[in-house]
Amino acid sequence: MTETAAEVLEQFARGDAEAFEALFRQYQGEVYGWVVRIVRDPAAAEDLTVETFWRIYRARARFDPRCEFRPWARRIATNLAVGHLSGRRPETEFSDDAPPARVCSSPPDPAVSADVREKVAAAFEKLPAKLRAAATLAMIEETPYAEIGAALGISTAAVKSRVFRATRLLRRSLIGAGVEP
Amino acid sequence: MNESDERVRDLVRRAIGPPADPELKRDLWPRMRARLDAPPVRVPWWDWALAAAVVVCLLAFPAAIPAVLYQL
Repeated sequence: MTETAAEVLEQFARGDAEAFEALFRQYQGEVYGWVVRIVRDPAAAEDLTVETFWRIYRARARFDPRCEFRPWARRIATNLAVGHLSGRRPETEFSDDAPPARVCSSPPDPAVSADVREKVAAAFEKLPAKLRAAATLAMIEETPYAEIGAALGISTAAVKSRVFRATRLLRRSLIGAGVEP
Repeated sequence: MNESDERVRDLVRRAIGPPADPELKRDLWPRMRARLDAPPVRVPWWDWALAAAVVVCLLAFPAAIPAVLYQL
């Protein structure tokens, strides 16, 4: 950590508004990028990014400036994203000026028919939130298990277990929907 | 992980795919600023009164505590 970054963190922990703004501007894109990978909804990801920093701001007195800011922010953001997936919404006033964008994935593999894509997406959405978050990051984003574990606050073994259970549930759903994986 | 699990994962990866654009398109600081400047939510006095009444009732009738907890 550079001296300037350490100073900013110390000032933030003391409640300095300018230091908080500096941190917000530095990390907002990163937090948003992480959250949108989990929730896959740009408008919700923006709301959750603001909510993440709101919680960070409220918890500033408990932050130890000797620790790294990034993992702390990511952990809070991940918890909020999982809460969003499970249907618990944070107390944000959802912005009216946000573009009404919904999930926008990269162009899917043309070898996979639209019907199968829909069934896979439906099966994925039915997964419990905690499994879905782990599965999204592991299967789709190909994020290392250790990184997922740090963000979710669980061990690497627990991440593997969640991905394993998600895979089993997905296979059962897909077979039920007539898709043979 | 067996071959069948790997096929499920491969299908998910190909069918869903990562977000097209994970980049933040605009500065969220104005929204954050508005959130910081918003007045704190005030709890109406009658909510405090109701909470106090519940506490008084529970102190007066401690046998009711398990029933109340069960309803939560």
